[in-house]
Order: sequence, then C-alpha cells, then structure tokens
Amino acid sequence: MTKFSKIGAMLAAGGLALGVGVTSVAAETMYTPNMSYRTGPFAATGIPLMNGQRDYVNMLNARDGGVGGVMVDFEECETGYNTNKGVECYEKTKANAIVTQPWSTGITLQVLPRTNVDRIPILAPGYGFSPMSDGETFAWAFNPPVSYWDGASMIMNYISDGDMNSLEGQKIVLLHLDHPFGKEPLPLLEKYAEQYGFELVPVPVGLKEMQNQSAQWLQIRRERPDWVVMWGWGAMNAGALTEAAKTRFPMDKFVGVWWSGSDDDLLALGDKAKGYKSISWNAPGNFPVIDEIKTHVVDAGNSMIEDASDMDKIFYQRGVVMSMFLTEAIKTAQKHFDVGAVNAEQLRWGLENLNITEELLSEIGMSGMVAPFQMSCTNHTGHGGAWMLEWDGAKFVQASDLLKPDRASIEPLEKEKAAEYAQNNAPWPTRDSLPCE
Amino acid sequence: MLYRTSGQFKTSYESDQALFPVKQDAWLLMVILVAAYVVFPLTASEFTFKALLVPVLIYSLAAMGLNILTGFAGQLSLGTAGFMGVGAYACYKLTTIFPEMNVLVALALSGLFSAAVGVAFGLPSLRIKGFYLAIATLASQFFLVWLFEKWAWLYNYNASGAIEVRTMEFFGIVVTGPTASPVTQYYFVLAVVTIICFAMINLTRGRYGRMWKAVRDMDIAAELVGINLMRAKLTAFAVSSYVVGIAGALLVFFWKGAAEPNLFDIPLSFQILFIAIIGGLGSILGNFLGAILIVALPVVLNVLPETLGISINSATMEHVNDMIVGALIIMFLIVEPHGLARFWALIREKLIIWPYPH
Repeated sequence: MTKFSKIGAMLAAGGLALGVGVTSVAAETMYTPNMSYRTGPFAATGIPLMNGQRDYVNMLNARDGGVGGVMVDFEECETGYNTNKGVECYEKTKANAIVTQPWSTGITLQVLPRTNVDRIPILAPGYGFSPMSDGETFAWAFNPPVSYWDGASMIMNYISDGDMNSLEGQKIVLLHLDHPFGKEPLPLLEKYAEQYGFELVPVPVGLKEMQNQSAQWLQIRRERPDWVVMWGWGAMNAGALTEAAKTRFPMDKFVGVWWSGSDDDLLALGDKAKGYKSISWNAPGNFPVIDEIKTHVVDAGNSMIEDASDMDKIFYQRGVVMSMFLTEAIKTAQKHFDVGAVNAEQLRWGLENLNITEELLSEIGMSGMVAPFQMSCTNHTGHGGAWMLEWDGAKFVQASDLLKPDRASIEPLEKEKAAEYAQNNAPWPTRDSLPCE
Repeated sequence: MLYRTSGQFKTSYESDQALFPVKQDAWLLMVILVAAYVVFPLTASEFTFKALLVPVLIYSLAAMGLNILTGFAGQLSLGTAGFMGVGAYACYKLTTIFPEMNVLVALALSGLFSAAVGVAFGLPSLRIKGFYLAIATLASQFFLVWLFEKWAWLYNYNASGAIEVRTMEFFGIVVTGPTASPVTQYYFVLAVVTIICFAMINLTRGRYGRMWKAVRDMDIAAELVGINLMRAKLTAFAVSSYVVGIAGALLVFFWKGAAEPNLFDIPLSFQILFIAIIGGLGSILGNFLGAILIVALPVVLNVLPETLGISINSATMEHVNDMIVGALIIMFLIVEPHGLARFWALIREKLIIWPYPH
C-alpha cells in the first residue's frame, strides 16, 4: 500500500516545485555556500572556524564591495557534520554555487565523484583525503595548504629533530578517531615505521568512546610509548587531553594534528596541559587582517562571534585563512578571464593556478599567518608547510620554524592511492577536457 | 460520499478477501502509482529526487523490513542498521568480486547474506523475548559495526575505510555512480520497493503473516494451536533481514554512493525504529507515512523559508526544525498512539460514513 505515502510526497513535492534548490541570486554575486556545522556533536570546534570563514568574506564585502567589485554570497547550509545532510546541502546549492566546501571527510568522499559530473570545484582546506593532491586524477578537488600525509610527515620530522633515522627502536602511538579522517595518516606512518624501524601502535578511539578514553589510555600506559601522535576531532581531543593529564602522561611527548589544537579544548586544562603540541598551518598572532575584520564586521555587529577575544583563537584565524584561499582563487580567475563574476569552471582554473606569495600575504595583511605556496595542475595541495605550536598554559605559541613535508616519500604513495581510488570508482573521468594551462 | 461503500456487493469469498475490498482504495492506489511513476519523474527537480523521493523510498523499505519483525512477529530489534550494513557490504563485495554481475542480481543476493546474519542473531529470540531480546539485537548492532571497521577485506583494504560505488550499468543504462541520472536511480529504487512491497503485503496477509501475528499476540497460545515457534520466529528474522539488507544496499548504491562504517551505527537503527513506530507497527502503509514524517518533513521544512523568501540563518533553522519535528512526533503519538497508519484508518472509516455519521 504505497499509496498514501505518495500523496504526502506529492504534496511535499508540490510545495517544493516552486523553489527547490533555487536560491535567489541577484545579477552580480558569486554564490560560495559553506556546509557549516554549528549544531551537533562537533559544533564546538565548528563554530569558530565557520565564524572566521564568514567574517573574512563579509569583511571583503563591507570594505571592498566584494571581490573584484562583485559581492560574494557566503551562505551557510547547516549539516551538523551529518553526511546525509551534507549531500542534501550539496544538491540544494549546486545549481548556482561556484564552489563546494563540504567540511567533513565523510561528506567530501560522497561529493567528490559528483563534482566531476556537476563540474564544481571542491575546496577542502586542510582536510579531505590526501591523494586529492594529485590533480591529474582529481581535477576538481583542492586541499591547500597541506594534506594529512604532509602533516604526518612534518610531525615525524619534528619529533625526530629532522633525522628520521633517530626514531629507530622507538615506540610511537597513533591515537586516532576510528573514522575515515582518523585513519588518514596510517598508510604513510606504516610506511615510515617500516623504513625507519620504529614501532607504530595505532590506538583507535570509536565515535562512541570519544569522551571516555580510559581504556585507550590504559593501553598507552602499558605500551610506554616514546611519543603519542593524535588524530582527533571534536570531543575526542578534550577527552584525550583530560585523560592524558589524569594519567600523568608527559605532555611534551604528546603531539596533535591541526584539528587537535583548538584553544577551547585546552583552556579547561590550563597549566595541566602545558607542553602539549599541535601542528598548525596557520600561525597565531596579531595580524592586520584581524583588525580589519574587527573594524568592518565585528564592530558593525555583523559577526556571529560572542566575544571579540574569540578572534585571537587559532581556529577562528584558520577560518579566515580558509576564506582567503577562496577569495584569492576568485581574484586569480577574475584576472585571467577578465570577468567580474566568475563561474565554477573559471574558479577551478583559479584554484589550480593559485599562487600565495609572501608579497600577496603582506598586501592583504596576513604576512606570517600562513606559509606561501603555489598550486599547479599536478599539485592541488600546494604543500606550503606548517608550524609546531605549543600550549603554554594559557595560549598556543609558535614552537618551531616552518616545517616542510618530505614530499619525496609522500608523492609515490599519493599517486598509488589516487590510482586505486580511480579504479574503485571506475570509470573515473580523465582530465582530457581540462587542459593544463 | 467520496468513500461510499454501499452498492459494492461481494458475492464470493474471493472478492471479500481481495486486496482492496473497497473500490475507492484501489483507485487511490492507482492515483498514487501514477503520481509516483509518471508525475514525479516529469516534474521533480534533481534535488527533489536526491533529498526527498529516493531517501523516503529507501527508509520506508528498511522500516518495512523492521516492521515484519517487530510489528508482525513481535520481536523487538535494535539491530536494523547493522543488517542494512551487511546488505550494503555484501553488495559491495559481490559487485567487486564479480564485476560482470547484474546489479539487480547482486541486490537480491546481498539480501540473502543479511538474511543469514539475521537468522544467526535471531537465534537468541528462541529463548528470550521483549527487552532482553532488544539487548541481544543491540549486541549484533555493535558487533557488526565493529566488524565493518576492522575487517579490511570487507572494504577492499581501502585507505579511508569507506566503500565506494563504481559506475554500473543495468541493461545499458547507467544506474549507479556519479554519472547515473537521478531519474534512473529513482525508477530503479521505486521498482524494487514496489515489488518488495507487493510481496510483503501478500506475505503478511497469508499463512506466514498469520503465524507471525499469532506469535506476536501470545506465543504460548500460538504454540498450543500447533505453530512451530522456532520456525515462525526465524522466518520472521530471515524475511525482515532480507528486506532490510536490500534497503541497506539501495541506500549506499542508489543514494549515497559511498559509505563509512559508522553510517550503520545505532542512530540509523533508531531512526528506522521510529519510522516504524510512528508510522504504525504491524502495517505496511505506516512505513511510508512514517518515512515521510521523519525523513522528508525536515528537508521540506529546511527549504521552506527560502522558498517563501524569508532569510533565516541555516543553523537557527536546524534548531527550529528539530523542535517542529519533535513536537509533531509527540502530537501524533498523543492523537493516535498506534501510529499514522491507524490515524489514516480512522479517517477512512469516518469518510465511509460521511456525511451521515451514526
């Protein structure tokens, strides 16, 4: 008796027929939707990032009248970090969008094959999956400025003081979320373990165990590792840090990926977490761009942040950097195609030819905030590098010079995994229609 | 008036036991089928297919599977998502090991795997019932998701631990993968759901359905009148898991295109259970009504303000949405605790005697 269900569906569809998926876009705006998660279990980490992204674009709109004279419509579509909602958002926005910013690794995986068909570039700064760097395979996907494998390489580089051979005989625990995101660094770290003779002990944390990791930390205590590397997200970070403090694990032997370095996770622990390190591709500090945002957006009452001090947080500033990648790519495309409002294909070109130089960064007031990098047809990540940050009990401070990933060891792996992905999703489109220019 | 049954005489037992003893029901079904097979495909946008129609059909199918077990045979299960996962992973393995296999055959076979797993986890139902059985099926839920995560062979040692759907053809038409057109996928899912729905309606009206209902209403009495409890319960588990497994495979192959293990975690089980409960336990129609309320309504509410030209923050809308849907669920359960299917049955009864009530 499928009948009545369908009446309902018909009513629903009738109601929608008017305006489904159509966002009123005025003549000259560029629609760059962002799949935000201000609700749900990951909201605490999502909100500062989303605020940073949104405020930077709003600042450009308020100060310069948009990018290249064209306003940017930076609308949010709420997903709650839920892949179903993410796909819904993608479908809803794709008609007019010039870019898709999927935000979770799960949503990225689902959207990635479709963007080839819909011809919309994916911008996944610092997330997504590492082989996306191979532009020959993933023509429409971009994950600047560094990939997870770059991050793993830089962390290993840092903890071995630049000489990976010194890791021989050591024991390194990878405490990771048991989820596609958390498993990302495994292939590379396994390769390193074999190559440099250290022992890698992956300790997965299930999504249900994020807040209570006593079993994992008992195992870590038993293993007596030389280092703990964390690939955590959301509530897992605070859980791990609390447990580490409780079991008196030496914090200076504990290093996290960039998503495990949110000020809010550490503020609660304060001095107890002193010495904890997190790699980050944006450096903290006072930058002119933040003052500009304060003048044009926060003071004007158009920001969603609760307190102006939130602007000093790493995650907020990272959001600003993310939007900068997008707007600079738009500028690059505008210059090349000599148009005002760029379309999705033009933006793809802009992203592929994005060149973030030192001069550009100081011009837009972000000098030292992110490492310069350049993307190309074969390099959709840029691999700019990152800094190690250390928690001093009240805030993160820069603890290293710019670290660079060991590309020689990563690239073959990227090629291999990209080919594997293309094979799994066969027939995967080639780049023939998108010449490299 | 509209639903007047006077004048519709039944002169044989056969006509009295027909699927639609009242003519208007059959007409209504025809209208809906025409809408589903002709009107929607002609009018719906891509978004409507991907966010409304296809998910509603797939969730209805999963809830229908659960309803066989919980609504008809009275065995409470909290492991639905796990069995959906078995179907999805079986279909994935089948289509990667035998790339030549027809996708419909792979779907049908993957149902068999989940049926087998369902029967295995249904064995405790022979000794325990009620809440205790719910806990046992909960164990299957945890175990299966754990297995999807740890057994790398299941996802072909993919680095991300997720399964991805390659492009497959069905008699020359692309039905899965990114290049498949939403209309094709919708038709495929609709056809599968129609076939299974037809089979289930007849199954639940027939010998097995009666057996299950007898077990549900009082298992000791059923045993006394000669019903083999083991057979009744295990067939319920098998049929239910078969349908649920196919729903899981459809979910991944015809809707999402990729899936990670935690998709099949407990929230999905609960969602399916809510659809079945709010739609109406022991009913086939209820699954569709429940799916519309739980799956489609939030999507519609989300796009409503935009359609009406009201600008509202997306996150705020999400909170408002949760509140509205929550309130509606409570309201429906207060108005009619037996679910939406019963609600419709009452409306229909009133319609039959309208405008001259007793």
